[in-house]
Amino acid sequence: MPCDHARTLLGAYVDGELTGAARQAAADQVRSCPACADAADDIRRIGRQLNATGREVAPPQLAQRIRDELAKEMASDRPVPSRLATTWRAPAARFVGAMVAASVVSSLITWSVATWPRGEVRLENDVVSAHIRSLLQDSPIQVASSDNHTVKPWFNGRIDFAPEVKDFTSEGFPLLGGRIDYIGGRRVGAIVYKRHLHVINVFMWPAAGPEPADALADVAKGYNVLHWSKAGVTYWAISDLNADEMRQLHGLL
Amino acid sequence: MAVVSNFESAAVPHMDAAFNLAFWLLRNRTDAEDAVQEAYLRAFRAYATLKSNDIRPWLLAIVRNVAYRMLARRGRSGNVISFDEAFPGRGGDGAGEIDVASDAPSAETLLIGEGDRAMVTTALAELPATFREVVVLREMEGLSYREIADVIGVPIGTVMSRLSRARGDLKTILQRLIDKDLSNAM
Repeated sequence: MPCDHARTLLGAYVDGELTGAARQAAADQVRSCPACADAADDIRRIGRQLNATGREVAPPQLAQRIRDELAKEMASDRPVPSRLATTWRAPAARFVGAMVAASVVSSLITWSVATWPRGEVRLENDVVSAHIRSLLQDSPIQVASSDNHTVKPWFNGRIDFAPEVKDFTSEGFPLLGGRIDYIGGRRVGAIVYKRHLHVINVFMWPAAGPEPADALADVAKGYNVLHWSKAGVTYWAISDLNADEMRQLHGLL
Repeated sequence: MAVVSNFESAAVPHMDAAFNLAFWLLRNRTDAEDAVQEAYLRAFRAYATLKSNDIRPWLLAIVRNVAYRMLARRGRSGNVISFDEAFPGRGGDGAGEIDVASDAPSAETLLIGEGDRAMVTTALAELPATFREVVVLREMEGLSYREIADVIGVPIGTVMSRLSRARGDLKTILQRLIDKDLSNAM
């Protein structure tokens, strides 16, 4: 199969998502390789059929139901979380915002959707799942050590960067060890700390995009989640530990 | 009230897209309605934080998030649901499958057009949710890769590879359904 390598790009070509040389290469391929031309036709045909028959149309009364709900929402005196979100953006209020957020559980789910950049909500779900998974297993770690000289080299070749591994036993956060996990479609490093009886997972991977200045806090499924970026690495810490002590660990890292 | 009308005029036009995505994740019209309603309420509360001019990917991301939470609450994975509900008559003959239409695409949809046309939606239902959603967003809603990446929170390259894999799987499933249909007909 001489053209096998280009099949991923074929879809992108059909979708008009390629530009420049890549687009030209795909066009040439479709012209010169009958199998590729067929594959492109299949993509188009299936797409047309899905578009023609697969779309599920909303019931006509749904729009009215939503309008009524919105009107009710405006009529109620309950402070809307978007106000909290606006305060949150003022730098001076960030810390206060985090504290308020940690306690106002009722608004938190909305709040997480509201203030976390798109995509992070999905990442958060992955982080929560990975954390729970690690607790369901016999041990949350693949390499055990209270010595960072064992844990750090263990990650060599397993993930594509060298995670920061430090032991904070003297500060009350002993290092249990590390493992590899899978979050947001990639392999990530997980460093596991303990605080009293609580297990803390700290996931890390190379940061993509701008780094938020402050750590963002949330509660998901009863776990405290804290995430931040530092020196080109994105960190997600999660535990049933209280938010204050989570921030303490953040300060150490 | 200006806020409400701003939000309404921006968000309501995308209600069909929102409903379609919710339906294809939840595979149930009633649940999809609830998901859209809840998502719109959340979106309204968070509207002040929307920085982009393009409300659609943001809105769909919230719908998707609500739908996945509902799936998690059901205690079943999206894959399990799609499989059970897409093939209620599994093991029986082809005609039985079309009769059970409560959760499958509405009965009219399945009967429209020639055989392999209806099969496309059946095949889509069989894909795992991760792959199903990129197909729905691309082929039914016509979102760009950038927009899909924003909705599901992955890099564009991941959108490209998922879509490619989803299309390949869709074709394989479709082929199997058509073969099965032919052997039933004979």
